[in-house]
Amino acid sequence: VPDAALRCRYVLCEVVSEDPRCRQCIEDRAVGLAVRDAIGRVHGDFGLACCSISFTVKYLNAYTGTVLLRCRKDSYRLLCSALPFVRQLESRNQRYPCFLNTLHVGGTIRTCQKFLIEYNRRQLLMLLQSCTNEEERRCVQKSLLSCSLTEEQCLSGNEDDDDDGTDTD
Amino acid sequence: MSGAKEKKRAKKMRNQPASVILPAEPGPFPGGGSRACPIPGDVLSEHQYQQQKFLNQSSGPSYRKDQYFPKGQNRGERGRGRGGWQGGCQSISEEMPRYITVSTFAQARAAEINAMLKAVSQKSSNSMVFQTLPRHMRRRAMSHNVKRLPRRLQEIAKKEAEKAVHQKKEQSKTKCRKARRRHINLVAEFNRRQRKNIWLETHIWHAKRFHMVKKWGYCLGNSPTEKCYRACYRAMTKHCLLQDLSYYCCLELTGKENELLKQLAQICSIDTGLTFGEAGCLSGRFEGSVNLYRADRYPEDMLGPVTFIWKPRDGSENRQLWIWMHPALKQGILGELKTIFQCSEPEETCIPEPATTSVQEEKQMDVVLSIGKKRKKEDKEGGKAVPVKKIIGDGTRDPFQSYTWISQTTGVVISDRSMEILRYRLIGPLSHSVLTETLKAASLQTEMADSETGLNNWWVENCKNSEKVSLHQCQSAIFELLEGLSSPSQLPPGAILGLTVGDPRVNMPKKKTKAMPDFEKYRDNDKVRQLYLEGVPVECAHSFIWDQDICKNVTENKISEQDLNHMRAQLLVPGSHLDLGPCESKIPILLVQQPGKMTGEDRPGWGSGWDIYLPKGWGMAFWIPFIYRGVRVGGLQEALKHSEYQRTPHTPNDFPDCQAGKQFAKELETSLLEKFKRRPPAKRPNYVKLGTLSPFIIPWGQLTKNWEERMKASGEFVHPSSPHTEHCAIKGHSFYDPKAENMKEASPVTGEVEETMEITSSEGALKTEDVTGTQDVGERDETTARSDFVVLRSEKVLMQLSAWCYPTAGKDRRIRLVSRLGQKEMTEDVFLPILMSYPRALVWVNLSLLRKGSPELHAMICIPTEDDLLHLSKDKLFCGPQEPKHRDIFKHKVQKLKEEKKKKKDNIKALEGDPPSVPEETAERHEDLILGLWSDTLPDVTSHCSRTLLGYVTRGDFSLAAGCGEALGFVSVTGLQKTNLRMCAGGTERCSL
Repeated sequence: VPDAALRCRYVLCEVVSEDPRCRQCIEDRAVGLAVRDAIGRVHGDFGLACCSISFTVKYLNAYTGTVLLRCRKDSYRLLCSALPFVRQLESRNQRYPCFLNTLHVGGTIRTCQKFLIEYNRRQLLMLLQSCTNEEERRCVQKSLLSCSLTEEQCLSGNEDDDDDGTDTD
Repeated sequence: MSGAKEKKRAKKMRNQPASVILPAEPGPFPGGGSRACPIPGDVLSEHQYQQQKFLNQSSGPSYRKDQYFPKGQNRGERGRGRGGWQGGCQSISEEMPRYITVSTFAQARAAEINAMLKAVSQKSSNSMVFQTLPRHMRRRAMSHNVKRLPRRLQEIAKKEAEKAVHQKKEQSKTKCRKARRRHINLVAEFNRRQRKNIWLETHIWHAKRFHMVKKWGYCLGNSPTEKCYRACYRAMTKHCLLQDLSYYCCLELTGKENELLKQLAQICSIDTGLTFGEAGCLSGRFEGSVNLYRADRYPEDMLGPVTFIWKPRDGSENRQLWIWMHPALKQGILGELKTIFQCSEPEETCIPEPATTSVQEEKQMDVVLSIGKKRKKEDKEGGKAVPVKKIIGDGTRDPFQSYTWISQTTGVVISDRSMEILRYRLIGPLSHSVLTETLKAASLQTEMADSETGLNNWWVENCKNSEKVSLHQCQSAIFELLEGLSSPSQLPPGAILGLTVGDPRVNMPKKKTKAMPDFEKYRDNDKVRQLYLEGVPVECAHSFIWDQDICKNVTENKISEQDLNHMRAQLLVPGSHLDLGPCESKIPILLVQQPGKMTGEDRPGWGSGWDIYLPKGWGMAFWIPFIYRGVRVGGLQEALKHSEYQRTPHTPNDFPDCQAGKQFAKELETSLLEKFKRRPPAKRPNYVKLGTLSPFIIPWGQLTKNWEERMKASGEFVHPSSPHTEHCAIKGHSFYDPKAENMKEASPVTGEVEETMEITSSEGALKTEDVTGTQDVGERDETTARSDFVVLRSEKVLMQLSAWCYPTAGKDRRIRLVSRLGQKEMTEDVFLPILMSYPRALVWVNLSLLRKGSPELHAMICIPTEDDLLHLSKDKLFCGPQEPKHRDIFKHKVQKLKEEKKKKKDNIKALEGDPPSVPEETAERHEDLILGLWSDTLPDVTSHCSRTLLGYVTRGDFSLAAGCGEALGFVSVTGLQKTNLRMCAGGTERCSL
């Protein structure tokens, strides 16, 4: 457990965009800049400075749009309150409107990871329920099954999954 | 990417779950690169974007690592060139799908879940699972019992416990200590351990007190573990130093005297001094020493030095001859002897029955081989199967391998009696006091103690013969006279005294004492005087040790230590003298005087002593009583120092021309090179800069060749720069032959002869060796293919040389000396024939330093310039010239190589992103070039340094005996004579270290 003074908060959020091309922009520099920009707008220089201490993008996944941000525990409220004001991501002169959906605030990366597992699983279940045709249902089921097993089995399941997935594709 | 940044990032990432990366890569696309699945070509267009991106990303091998972390990803992409990325993007964006399918969405999520699961299930810290638990959840003995952990952690903990590192040491299969120490098991274990390297009988005593080394197939004590450098020197000088020389090998030749002498004449030369036929030695009165050469190959193909003892004539026409040699020389000499006596076929029929031990051993082996029962069972079969104590004799010898060879034509029998006869050496002026105090001549005995065992039956028989009784009495009388001598050197060199003594364990003192001579008793005795004037009479050299049957009998009938102690315990008065009466063993021994220092003018007789030869099995029985007389025990190192102070050659160090010497040099080179490489490169001396061409092995062949070339180049002969060679300044020449007292030494008083040493902080003491791979090979070829140098051992030439080199205060003295020795004055006429006959000869020299400093191994002996001599006579503190710094011509090569390696390494790193494996790299570099070592073939060694090189030092140290630095080495004869001729202002030898 790190020193109390150095304790951090990890904010797990999701990039939601209408435009699928936005996913190109999901990279840590772009996300970091966008968040900083938003904090600067909302809380001013002081707020930005507070949040910038040990602020990083710890993890992101362009394909699911998941982003994990870190900042000091003292200033995470400033960060969280500024997140809704992120309106767009800009990268390589391309700019796509989007917003950040805060999913979870945790004290360690591990809790965030655990949350993410649960969250994704829930998403898949919801997807399964809302499936419209049989093929989709099959796909989702496969995906769902593939990730609920133990590690080794996971891998093998994935392989099967891959083959199946490409076939269906 | 710069290394620092890389490192920083690696450090940052260290505690991260590595799998976090996975989702970014394989996540979106199910055919993810992580699984190395080829992406099928028939992908739907919606996926092309992802696919292309994916392909693009996974182009470089190092990509994945970068991808692991968002930051790395950015950097990696940037580094790889933006153009490619953007181009790809643009082209893709046109076909960008407008919607996403359910399957990709689901798969992306699934992949992420997987990655996260993996990350979560992995423990992130370095600690054990139970250490990560909060305190309130910890339980006692969690590491011992997995079930005490919370159930969710039990799996992980189990895995952890199975890891090799945490596993308990495997229970050794050996038995408990008590079982191991049980005698029978202990002996079996000892036998197993000496299968490769034979133990001497005193091995266990030595192993407790000495650093043991495995050499020449034996386990030998190298030097005591205690601090004893000076103490051993004092013992040699003032009291007595004991050494176990039982590892020396003995070959016994039996045959007619004429036959033996005729054949043996082939392998030694009258030129080198005595031969086997020397009258004193032939009678068996003295021990002789001789240098052996391959048959009729003198002066090339040296086999090595040996000592020999003839059995005194006893009426029968067959004579017995013992040839004692160093084990390193044994194979060569044995082979040569077999050749000259034409007995290549081992003679099965005439194998004298091997000692009982080996017979039993054989039996046991038979049992093991044929029945193949378990050892344990076999042990229980009875006394017969008890493992025989191998410590006696050469137990490792294959019992089926013959060690006796007979010549069909001449009837000469050669038998290998190594380890059958023990040999201890006592060095020091009081060694005979130790002997006389320890050993008591056997008492006469006329009745058998025990007719069954055959104990002492040979002695009883002997005592019935009045002639032999009187001989024994004569021997014991002389032995007692020894006590009156002040030093063993008073006897003629190599005198032999045979004796039969009682069990030395009986009259052990209760406490360790120091044997001192009792001069009172014998001060004015005429007999003592007679003894050292005339030596030991021939008859007294006879000993029963020559008779193998008697030796066997004595070995077998030794009363064990246990029995002896038991008898002691049963004495009426505890601690009183134990009288065994007729049961006391009688042991035949042989005492041989070692002459000590015989050349040179100072310390005559220094280091003299006695060798005692015993039948095997009696090693410890004699050893401990000696120890109780206050002797100090030395190992191999002490023997080396002894010969160094005594200025005698040591086998095999000082025989560079024989096979064993070459082998020794090679081994030394390897060990020194290893030692050199073990230092960090920055701390290694740069031998190229120091001007040392080959610090680890001496290029004798190169040296002699270069001198020969020099000779030829400078015309037929060098013109002496001045006809008056006023002083010839070679400090000391000690030659092999002890009889020719031609060890010349410059006394410091004359101040003409000088050895100066270069001692500089940078150079001094650092020179050792250096050989690179290529040179190494060249060197080896040189030495093995053709021996292109010989060591001068001709007595006549040596006498001549030493007379010329003799330091004198004025010219007259040398002339007188020269004339006294019947030598010719030094002129070209005399030189030429010597040079012609020995164009590539080395001569063994002894150097002592005039001033400070002590020479080291492989130091170079150079000819001083006139300036040096001038400087020397003026400046009292002048310690010798200093070698100027050389340029390291290999440095740029090494650096270039290093850079190349580095580049390669960088490339590899860039490609793989793996941390460079440093050891591999350095190892590779070592193969090619080593900074500081000469890596080409050697240039002219004689002219490489600022002074002309004469030779090299093979052994050098501060001599406690002489009180100054002393060295033994070899110089080129050609160079030496040239020096002698040219030197005018007083010769000096420079020893540049």
